[in-house]
Parts: sequence; C-alpha cells; structure tokens
Amino acid sequence: MSDAFAAPRPVMYNEDVVKKFIIAAMFWAIVAFLVGVYLAAELAWPSLNFGLSWINFGRLRPVHTSAAIFAFGGSALIGTSLYIVQRTCRARLFGGRALADFLFWGYQFFIVMAALSYVMGYSQSKEYAEPEWHIDLFLTVVWVVYLLIFLGTLLKRQEEHIYVANWFLLAFIVTVAMLHIGNNAAVPISLFSAKSYIVYSGVQDAIVQWWYGHNAVGFFLTAGFLGMMYYFIPKAAGRPVYSYRLSVVHFWTLIFLYIWAGPHHLHWTSLPDWTQMLGMAFSVMLWMPSWGGMINGIMTLSGAWDKLRTDPGLRFSVTAVGFYGMSTFEGPLMSVRQVNALSHYTDWTIGHVHSGALGWVAFIVFGAIYYIVPVLWQRKALYSTRLVSWHYWIATLGIVLYIVSMWVAGITEGLMWRAYDQYGFLQYSFVESVVAIHPYMVVRLLGGLFFLTGGLIMVYNLIQTVKSPTTELPREKLQSGYPAGAVPAAGE
Amino acid sequence: MQSEVGDWIVGPFVAILGLIGLILFGRANDGEMTVFGAALALFAIVFIFSLIKRRFDGGHAVQAAAKGAGHE
Repeated sequence: MSDAFAAPRPVMYNEDVVKKFIIAAMFWAIVAFLVGVYLAAELAWPSLNFGLSWINFGRLRPVHTSAAIFAFGGSALIGTSLYIVQRTCRARLFGGRALADFLFWGYQFFIVMAALSYVMGYSQSKEYAEPEWHIDLFLTVVWVVYLLIFLGTLLKRQEEHIYVANWFLLAFIVTVAMLHIGNNAAVPISLFSAKSYIVYSGVQDAIVQWWYGHNAVGFFLTAGFLGMMYYFIPKAAGRPVYSYRLSVVHFWTLIFLYIWAGPHHLHWTSLPDWTQMLGMAFSVMLWMPSWGGMINGIMTLSGAWDKLRTDPGLRFSVTAVGFYGMSTFEGPLMSVRQVNALSHYTDWTIGHVHSGALGWVAFIVFGAIYYIVPVLWQRKALYSTRLVSWHYWIATLGIVLYIVSMWVAGITEGLMWRAYDQYGFLQYSFVESVVAIHPYMVVRLLGGLFFLTGGLIMVYNLIQTVKSPTTELPREKLQSGYPAGAVPAAGE
Repeated sequence: MQSEVGDWIVGPFVAILGLIGLILFGRANDGEMTVFGAALALFAIVFIFSLIKRRFDGGHAVQAAAKGAGHE
C-alpha cells in the first residue's frame, strides 16, 4: 500500500509559547503607546516631568522606543515567527518546551531590566542600543536560544520547501545577532559595574552605531515584519502570494541593499563624503525591492478585494503594506543629502519613523493578531468586527494627525534654522523654533491619544474574544481528539 | 509525562545564570548591578521551580489518566 494513502501524522505544535508572546505583545503595545503619549505631553508642556529625574524625557524616551520596538514589536515577531515556522515546516519547535519557555521569559526579563536601567539613568547613549553591557550579554544568550529553536525547527521540517516567510525571519534573526554583537562591543570598567565604554571611538563609533541603527530598521522592523506579511496576508485573504518569484527577488535585493544604507544617518558630519554618498546611493536603490514587496503584498488580494469590506483585520494588514510603501518612499527621499540638509535633526524624522512604526509595524501586527487569536484560542471568530473597525479608523486618524503635524513642524524647524538675515546672522534663535512648533506638538499628542485609544479597544476586543461565550466553537468542532496545543497539520 | 532533552539542559543552564546573578548582586559596585544581579537570581529560582512544578503536574496528570482508564 502506498504511503500516499496514509493519513498525515498530526504534529503537536507548541502553541503555548506563541500565546504567551501574543499576550506580551498586547501588554507591551499599551505600555509603549502610553509612555509615548506621556512623552508627547512632556514635549508640549515640559513641566510635566515634575522635576523628577526618572520620568524626564531623556530617560523615558528609550523606555518608549524599546517598549515599542523590542517589547511590542519583538514579542509579536518572535511569537508569530514560532507560529509560522511550525506550520510551514509541519514540525514542532526544536528544543522542547523548557527551551521555548526560557526564550519567552528570558526575553521579557531583558525588556524589564532594560527599562529599569533607563529610568535609573544607565545608558550607553546609543540609539536603540541603550542597554549597558551586562543586559546586552543576557540578550545575546536569549537570542542564540531563539536562533537555535528557529533553525532547529527548519532543519527537522517535514516540508521539503522552505516557505519565503521563513527566509525573511531567518535573515532577521541572524542579522540582528550580528548587529547586536558588533555594535555593543564594549569594555566594562569592572565586572561588577554597569558602566562600560564602547571599543570604537569618534567617527568609527558613529558609523558602527548607524550601521546597527539603520539595519535595526531594515532587519528588525522590515525583514521580520515582511515575514509576517508573507504568511498572514495570504492566509487571511485565502489567496496564494501574488508572485512567489517576486518575493524571492524581494528577499535577496532587500538584504543585499539594506546593509549599506546606514551612513545616510550621518550626512554633513565628519564621516568621509564618499561614505555618505554610498549610503545615499544604496538608500535610493532600496526603492526597488521595497516597492516590489509592497506590490506583491497588495496584489495578493487579487480576486479577494471584497474581503476588505468584511474582514477589518485584513484591512489592517493591507493598510500596513500601503504605509510600508509610503515610508519606504519617504526614507530614500530623506537620505538624499540635499533633502537631508533640511530634514535632519527636525521633527520630520520623527514623523517618518512613526509612519513606519505605527502605519507599517503596528498595523501589520494588529492584522496578524486579529487573525491569530481566534485560531490559537480555538474561537469561532472575533468578539466584534465592529470594534475592529473602530480600532482601524481611530488608529488611522491618529497616524494621520501624527505624521502631518510632524511634517509641518519638521519643515518649519528646518527652514527657521537655516534662515539668514541680510547681515549673514541667523534670523531665528533656537527657542523661537521651539515656540513655533508648539501647536504641532499638541496635535501630535492628540494623534498619539487616538492611537492609544485604538489599542485599548483592541485589547478589550481580544479579551472578550477569548472569554465571551458568544465566540465559543461548537463542541464537535473543537479539536478534542488531540492534546492541548496539538493541531493536525493536514489542515494547513 | 514524556521528558525532553531540552528540559535537562535548560534547568542547569538557568541555575548557572542564577549563580552569576548572585555573585553580581553580592559584589555590585552600583545600584544598577545590584538590581540586575538580584533580579537574575530571582528569575533563575522562579524559572527552575516552574520547570519542577510542570514536571510533577505532568506526572500527576498521567497517573490520573491511567486511573481513569482503569475504572472504565
């Protein structure tokens, strides 16, 4: 008898760790948005720090960025990557439950320790790499465990082909490891002291920092979430990827080009001109893979556009891809030296970062979470699609308020800072530019409040999805034949 | 409850991390290292207890299932 007629053996997926990461992602989302709103209020009315050092802008700002990128984004990425790799490989996570639990709790421990160290005033003063050496070392251990689990699962897969989402996710894991170790090479003043000094100095330190910083954007905030896009949009739309060939071209061009783009953060500095031009040229070339990926994501909905009316979760995902296209158009534009002369050090950069962070990263996560929660908790549907719609429109309005106010504020700042009078003196003092942008700071706060409100609606909706009796699956549809967390792979 | 090789590696590994935490806590030169060392030791203790608890809970569940099957 041929094996072709044998029923596929059910795979006992480890969904417990995925659930934990999804819960953590939702928790950290609210923390990140809340701290962001508070910081926006501090920027509009600085006296709101009440003279307390541990809640001043300098200490809370890395709490906000780390909570958004590493806590919210990282938890969502790791959780969904473990979900994707198991299902696309038809294999349980490598290393057993204890190793997966260590990954989860170790990563949360890193986040809490990093945040505590910031408010206590300890920092390497490197953007997006603020934690001191001991926390960096701990994260390295956790990250190696993550790589082991992911790679081990890929190696023991029952599917011959490695689905493209896994390519993006593996690039994210490997490159972030390389960046983290390279950028954080430091010598502590003592093994029992938190203070350390980075081994690089001067402009070398700056270029290594922005090699890291820009590739944190490229490989953490882009490649990782593209992996999410390539799995969840086809699943939610019920359609295959528009062009699998384009997705592979997208992958190789993106990872080849991104790694060179960091110097555009150091235009008009002591960095050699040729290095600045190199960073600019590679940034402009990034338009092609970025837009190729965007087209691939959006066109995956061909033949299923009607689902945008009925599935607001999918609407989040598709809007995220739109924002991805928009912010990856704006980024190369800002990397052109002449444009950068106007935009650098202004709030335009803040607006650009948030169109990517809120519009792309947060929205693609929301889309994935709205898809994954009913699946993981075995519920027949979300508690309320109406609430998802409310979340969508409130959050979108919040982003629009945020980025438009920051564009206007940034261009105002840039123009005021470069204005000369007839005698060659600067026309405005710095504080005059601060006063000029105050209204936009208030509008930005309003945008952040909208986004936070949307996040709270999401959390309520998801808690109700898991708890409400109205979303329970009929008994016969529950996968009761398998132990908890075990899902028959044939369904995939 | 079926034991996994990973469980036996992770437990001692986290115990070593906990010991490192205790040493850092004991000899810390500043507030940050004191907090980090103490938290790392506490993390290790709680994590290892959770591993032990899960193993016993799993064992009890298997025993209960076997008893239930015997009564049928």
